Amino acid sequence: MAGNGDEPAVSARGLSKSFGRLRALNDLSVDIPRGVTYCLLGPNGSGKTTFIRAIVGLLSLDGGDLRVLGEPVARVKEIYSRIGYMTQHKALYPDLTLQENMEFFAGLYGIERSESWRRITRLLEMVNLQEHRNRLAGDLSGGMYQRLSLACTLIHEPELLLLDEPTVGIDPRLRQTFWEYFDLLTRQGKTVLITTHLMDEAEKCKIVGYMRSGKMAAVGSPEEIKRLAGLRPCLELWLKELEKDAAQLRAEGYELQICKGVVQLRLESPEQIKRVLAEVTPLDMRLKEPTLEEAFLRLSEAS
Amino acid sequence: MRLLDLSRVSVVALRVVRQLKRDRRTIGLITFAPILLMILFGYALSGEMSGVSLGLVDYGGHAVLKSHLEGIKDFNILYLGSESDAEKQVYEGRLNGAVILRPGEVRVLLDATSLQISNAIQAAVEAGASGERASFQKGPENIVVMRYIFGYDLEMMDTVGPAILGLVVFFFTFINAAISFIRERSQGTLEKFMVSPLSRVEMVSGYVLGFSLFTLLQSTTTLLVVTIGFGVPMRGNPLTALAVVLLLGAGALVLGSFFSNFARSEFQVVQFIPLIITPQIVLCGVWWPLQSVPEFIRPISYILPLTYASDALRAVMLKGASITDILYPDLLALSTFFLFFFVAATLMLRREVA
Repeated sequence: MAGNGDEPAVSARGLSKSFGRLRALNDLSVDIPRGVTYCLLGPNGSGKTTFIRAIVGLLSLDGGDLRVLGEPVARVKEIYSRIGYMTQHKALYPDLTLQENMEFFAGLYGIERSESWRRITRLLEMVNLQEHRNRLAGDLSGGMYQRLSLACTLIHEPELLLLDEPTVGIDPRLRQTFWEYFDLLTRQGKTVLITTHLMDEAEKCKIVGYMRSGKMAAVGSPEEIKRLAGLRPCLELWLKELEKDAAQLRAEGYELQICKGVVQLRLESPEQIKRVLAEVTPLDMRLKEPTLEEAFLRLSEAS
Repeated sequence: MRLLDLSRVSVVALRVVRQLKRDRRTIGLITFAPILLMILFGYALSGEMSGVSLGLVDYGGHAVLKSHLEGIKDFNILYLGSESDAEKQVYEGRLNGAVILRPGEVRVLLDATSLQISNAIQAAVEAGASGERASFQKGPENIVVMRYIFGYDLEMMDTVGPAILGLVVFFFTFINAAISFIRERSQGTLEKFMVSPLSRVEMVSGYVLGFSLFTLLQSTTTLLVVTIGFGVPMRGNPLTALAVVLLLGAGALVLGSFFSNFARSEFQVVQFIPLIITPQIVLCGVWWPLQSVPEFIRPISYILPLTYASDALRAVMLKGASITDILYPDLLALSTFFLFFFVAATLMLRREVA
């Protein structure tokens, strides 16, 4: 295995790809380190899926340099056994049973029968489908189908896992199981690259890359991105005499807005809370951390 | 609620029209396929034959009959020196029939594995002979002897049966293969294949192998029905016939895989039936001999696999041909067809999966 070790799992420099007049990738540069959960976040049409498909060599780039697991993308075919790719399509055979579907994909990767039986059992347990092992995949509900699709993608224990919106249609409890499993994989040194447009999913990733118009608009941990967007925690105050107290706070120089009878006040630092409480006595109060969503809304307004 | 609300009916009708309007291919098909089919059927059914190769051995005595035969422009007359030579050439399939003229006797050698052709030759000889009787009132009575080299006992079903076997296999394999590949594309499994160690050649080969098992089953049952049920003879080795059908099935599979690239849904695969299957039925020489296909369309007949498959199956089943007898041109043509579309189907898979 050439070029292993320190090289990033995916390294992109100046990627470009156009479909007609649409520039799907526009000078995209990014490094995806090994052993992390990395989230590609962005609105529809921002180039997330195009980037993933470029990584697996399913589309030819117009320009730029792309390396996958240390290999140039032109040779990515040779390392397909080290990559797991889950498309937005569920990519299963509805007329085969769960067991048969998984056996088929195990066979493609040359996994021995006894070993594949062991892995199928483990993965079906992980996605909580073990009692449906001999049912036809076509009889499964949408969420179950999605889980089976993930299990099939993991059958050959890939080093680099590319998941295009993997948790669509999955209930929150099971989604939690998925994330625990992704964490387990990264602890084993595997890299998980996920696209999503769900902010709460992105919050769980170690690194978030925010894509807009075919390039990386911001990269960092969820906290770093919030800081980058200049977002601070917000203090919400329920006041007895709303107008009077709000006017008093404004006079003290606080930046605030009133929303549905609640005063929202951006904090510069935690110490400010004491000073605010010296001015007014609220009926109730709450400290709200900024969300990633706000950060991205702010970032996209800025650009 | 009323059972039939016309406004709701019209809402549905409008939607159907709107959808069809967007599907230009369907509109084209609805318009042009009938024209194409009518032309094909019309020509094939017009019954005019050309290019019938007829051997003529002249031992003297039948000038009028001879010039009558020579005057039929649809016959290609080949002059031969002896009856045994003529018999050999009919036997080998190089001649459709032969006429041996002897004073006082006319012998006609016929290959009735194609009934229409042997009927045409018989009719021409009888017309010529009756013309001869009319011009020589007192002449000696001519005896016309018909001798069947093949198929003296054949019925219509016997001559088309072998070809139907090929047709059934071709039809089902083509449609099933095209639909399977469309599914691989639409359910996303093709894209997964592309990102697995499986190569395109392996994928198409796997399909050929898997489908061949079904082709084998299908052709065995069809063969049993055709031979036992309808009494079509099996004079050659049944395994040779199965080999021909398997090769044809493999060709239909790769053709279906290739054409699946031009359809976006299973619905559109069905539209291939009039475009790809029906011309084969009309032009393969099963129902009407190739000689009755107009000459400007005949080159098409010679690139259709069913033409060769039905020729080979007739040779095996009706004439008892062995595998070496049908090597050229039938098996060669079927193999070429298979290889060509195998490569084409594999290359088409390479296109970026949209």
